[in-house]
Amino acid sequence: MTSPTLTVAASTHGATKIYGKDDSVVYALNDVTVDFYAGQFTAIMGPSGSGKSTLMHCIAGLDELTQGSAIIDGADLSKMSDKHLTELRREKIGFIFQSFNLVPTLTADENIRLPLLLGNKKGNEEWIQRVIDTVHLQDRLTHRPSELSGGQQQRVAVARALASEPRIILADEPTGNLDSTTGGEILSFMRMAVDQLDQTIVMVTHDPVAAAYADRIVFLADGKVVSEMLEPTAEKVLDRMKSLGN
Amino acid sequence: MFRIALKSILGRKARLVLTSLAVILGTAFLSGTSIFSATLDRTFNNLFQDVFANIDGYVRSTEVVEGDFGLIERQRIPADTVEKVLAVPGVADAVPDIQAFARIVGKDGKPIGSEGAGPPTFGSVAVEFKGALWTIAQGKFPSGPNEVALDESSAEKAGYTVGDKVKVIAQAGSREFKMVGIASYGDVRSPGGATFALFDVPTAAEFLGKPGYVDAILVVGDGTRTDAALANDIDKIFKSSDKVETLTGAEITKETQDDIGEALSFFSIFLTIFSVIALGVGSFVIYNVFSISAAQRQRENALLRALGASRSQITRAMLIESVVVGLFGSIAGFIGGIGISKLLGVVLPALGIDLPSGGLVVTQSAVITTIFVGLVVTVLSAILPARRAGKVPPLAAMRATALETNNKGTKQLLIGLGFIALGISIVGAVVGGADNNYLGLGIVGVFIGTIVIGPNVARPVALFLGRPAAALRGVTGTMARQNAARNPKRTSRTSSPVLIGVALVTAVSALAASINGQISDIFTEQFKGDYAISVSAQGFGGLSPSLADDISKIDGVKNATGIGTALAKIDNKGRTLTVISPDTIEGNYDIGLINASYDSLDKKGIFISRSLAERDNLTVGSVITVVLGDAISRPLTVRALYEHDDLAGNRVISREAFAGTTVSSFDFGVYVNLEDGADDTAVRAALQKAVDDYGQGKLLSRDEYIDEQAGQINQLLGLIYGLLFLSVIIAIVGIIITLLLSVFERQRELGLLRAVGMTRSQVRTTVRWESVITSLLGAVTGIILGIGLGWVIVFALRDQGLSSFQIPIGTTIFIMVMSFLVGIIAAIYPAWRATKVDILSALNTN
Repeated sequence: MTSPTLTVAASTHGATKIYGKDDSVVYALNDVTVDFYAGQFTAIMGPSGSGKSTLMHCIAGLDELTQGSAIIDGADLSKMSDKHLTELRREKIGFIFQSFNLVPTLTADENIRLPLLLGNKKGNEEWIQRVIDTVHLQDRLTHRPSELSGGQQQRVAVARALASEPRIILADEPTGNLDSTTGGEILSFMRMAVDQLDQTIVMVTHDPVAAAYADRIVFLADGKVVSEMLEPTAEKVLDRMKSLGN
Repeated sequence: MFRIALKSILGRKARLVLTSLAVILGTAFLSGTSIFSATLDRTFNNLFQDVFANIDGYVRSTEVVEGDFGLIERQRIPADTVEKVLAVPGVADAVPDIQAFARIVGKDGKPIGSEGAGPPTFGSVAVEFKGALWTIAQGKFPSGPNEVALDESSAEKAGYTVGDKVKVIAQAGSREFKMVGIASYGDVRSPGGATFALFDVPTAAEFLGKPGYVDAILVVGDGTRTDAALANDIDKIFKSSDKVETLTGAEITKETQDDIGEALSFFSIFLTIFSVIALGVGSFVIYNVFSISAAQRQRENALLRALGASRSQITRAMLIESVVVGLFGSIAGFIGGIGISKLLGVVLPALGIDLPSGGLVVTQSAVITTIFVGLVVTVLSAILPARRAGKVPPLAAMRATALETNNKGTKQLLIGLGFIALGISIVGAVVGGADNNYLGLGIVGVFIGTIVIGPNVARPVALFLGRPAAALRGVTGTMARQNAARNPKRTSRTSSPVLIGVALVTAVSALAASINGQISDIFTEQFKGDYAISVSAQGFGGLSPSLADDISKIDGVKNATGIGTALAKIDNKGRTLTVISPDTIEGNYDIGLINASYDSLDKKGIFISRSLAERDNLTVGSVITVVLGDAISRPLTVRALYEHDDLAGNRVISREAFAGTTVSSFDFGVYVNLEDGADDTAVRAALQKAVDDYGQGKLLSRDEYIDEQAGQINQLLGLIYGLLFLSVIIAIVGIIITLLLSVFERQRELGLLRAVGMTRSQVRTTVRWESVITSLLGAVTGIILGIGLGWVIVFALRDQGLSSFQIPIGTTIFIMVMSFLVGIIAAIYPAWRATKVDILSALNTN
């Protein structure tokens, strides 16, 4: 897949995140330089404390790097004010969290359009309908989250992440709270979004089965990129993780 | 369990502070007003203790005439009584005392002291004497008909120094004196904020009262016998027909202190009512806070239950928390109350109610009462939430979200509707003719019912009120609307303080508006003059009767007539009579005489209203015995009946009746009728000059006068604004607390919203509109309830002449704007807190 036509959607250069002070310093990220390519489904893996979530938060503008830079669509996040970062998240990034993805007071439709509504934008109606069709939510649009199953809620979250045609979609353990069948369904939708709707997804996961849906896997350990894998399968991932664990 | 409860309290200090805030608010008002009242009481007691310190005896008439509103007029005694008293063995010295209406005109030509409301304006006696009430601080005692002394604060207010010419207005008219001294009363500059113009005895008798008469005699003994023995000896020289009594120094001190205490008790009752309202409304806030905190701790409590804690242990833990909160809040509230009483001491004088200053009096009982009441109210408010907390099923520990139980509340709805139906049917029965006394019961029923069904109606009403927000503000408005509606119990409890305050304010202003309209109608019908000179003296002092005569002489004036009141005893009951001048009243004032002319009212005559005639079976020619302030019985013959008793009351007599008596007589108004074709501008200027020269009173055109009279009811507005202010403060605190707790509860939601692109200002907008909707929810229900309440009160007062109910449109709009602002102000801090939610930690909380 490393053809020269690939463009970079997001990247970090020497990204370093340090917690604590003096002798109790912890490197959550230690000089991470990585590119995420447009039109690809990338998974970030690693054991607990490897820094995978921190890396994602820094790309999302939710957390600040101590050193280095995170760049989305050519813009350096470290130079942005809170307001700009908020607008960036609203317009260029789609989010899928592990749980509590939806605003309980809004309907499924309002939740899907939330980033657009917050930005006071109409969005591309044709695209939104296509997204809704893709995740099979046509007959659930007027329901509130409390009236939806866990899988349906995650589908709404996927639709929301897609609705504003973002530059990149960041997913943090999107299937962590779901049973394997429902989780597989969500991952298929994400795969479809990349293949059919030409989206870019970066997903943090510790589940080899989930990671196997990706085009490429970036392995982190102790705050550093330790390995990469293209066209993964669950077995290959498990093997690699075992070798990294040693 | 006790240790768990304490740990839980200390573990959440912020919540402790929030809960206590509600308690602090209620108790602060309670202790503030009680400290203030006690301080005021003590200050006045000390003052009179000082002033009467050297007085051993006090001689005065036993004859008192009481008017309709508790007004008292004590008869005067002959001036030569002083010589008789001086001759009694054991009397070292005795001087007469006179105290009557007088107003000092300031350097700017305006009378000092407030008209009507506020401390009285007196003229009195200042002479050198061991037991003197007044001492001279500067200059000398006044002597002779041209000299006056002023109390220190009046001299300062009016801008006079010793040697200045000072104009004073009293019953005998307005006159100029030379100021020779500045006096102080005890060790204060002026007692209770009253103003005093001081003269020697003969001048005071002639200018203030009646020549040859004095009000009382102050006696100093020579120390050879006790005060009681001295009083006894003095009493011996009087025959019972003299109708004179002697009080000891201690007795007159006590009586004066009691009189003031009584006057002040009205004030402290008023303040107490306010603090009871504050505490009552505050208990809603306390109840709400405990309910929310019980809901937020549902999982924690469920876990305790799962681990083996019993229901009653959970309930008890929460009650222990309420005791701690109650104690903490009451103590803090008491300290806050000291601040409030200080504030009252500053605010009231600014509103024209002058008070003597003195050190704060903090009684032990105020401390105990405040803490006891605060504690009891807090624990009572916590009982229901605590019981509900105990009922949490252990299984709730496993549930993901812990929201307040949102059962349908059908039972509540039925109970509430039952109360409302009961209340309305009682009101209906009263409207249908049942006793007015049941009205209160009906009103209370409707109030309770409304509050009980609050949670059931809160959701639809909040959704309705939130429509404009959703339409104007897009998705932030939609979320605010949904947030206000998502927890109807919480929203309805939060808006209850607004509801109660607004309902009270609306009802009182509806009453005021109705009375205003009524008065306006009456004056339009009965006041016929072109101009009026009005003074709001409220039963004490007023315009000299000579003013009407002077005005009559002005070119272009057809006639001018003075209208006054007098206190009288009829069949041993105190009555207020209207005093008119029959020869000039025509064309100025119409009491609706039935088949008679005003000329028929002579010195020995009286007019009575038709309703009185019917009630007492009187008719033209009947004789009524009237005792005026001089205690002399006068048989007056009914000369005619009249129709309009709403202004004139039931009895009208002629000014002539006072000629040659010792009774003071003032006019509260002079009505002026112009010649046909008179030059209005010129006459008005001439009238204005006459009033200015006189130094007191306000010249008003016909329309201005009617407006002014009708507007007097607006004094009720003070009460309205007091209530409004109080409910605004409590409402704001209540909303702040609820919003803060909600923000805390919705951290994850806020984190999510911020993550997917909600800006800080959008977060603020959401919280702000939720707050506004909550506040408006209370305001709208309160206004509806208040208008209903107002209508019912006006209906109940129909016998007092109130016939037309008027909706206070201005006040209603004002209240809506205010509650809008309340919402916005209350949201400031919670909204700021909401923007400070850390996105990452909010998303990671599980």
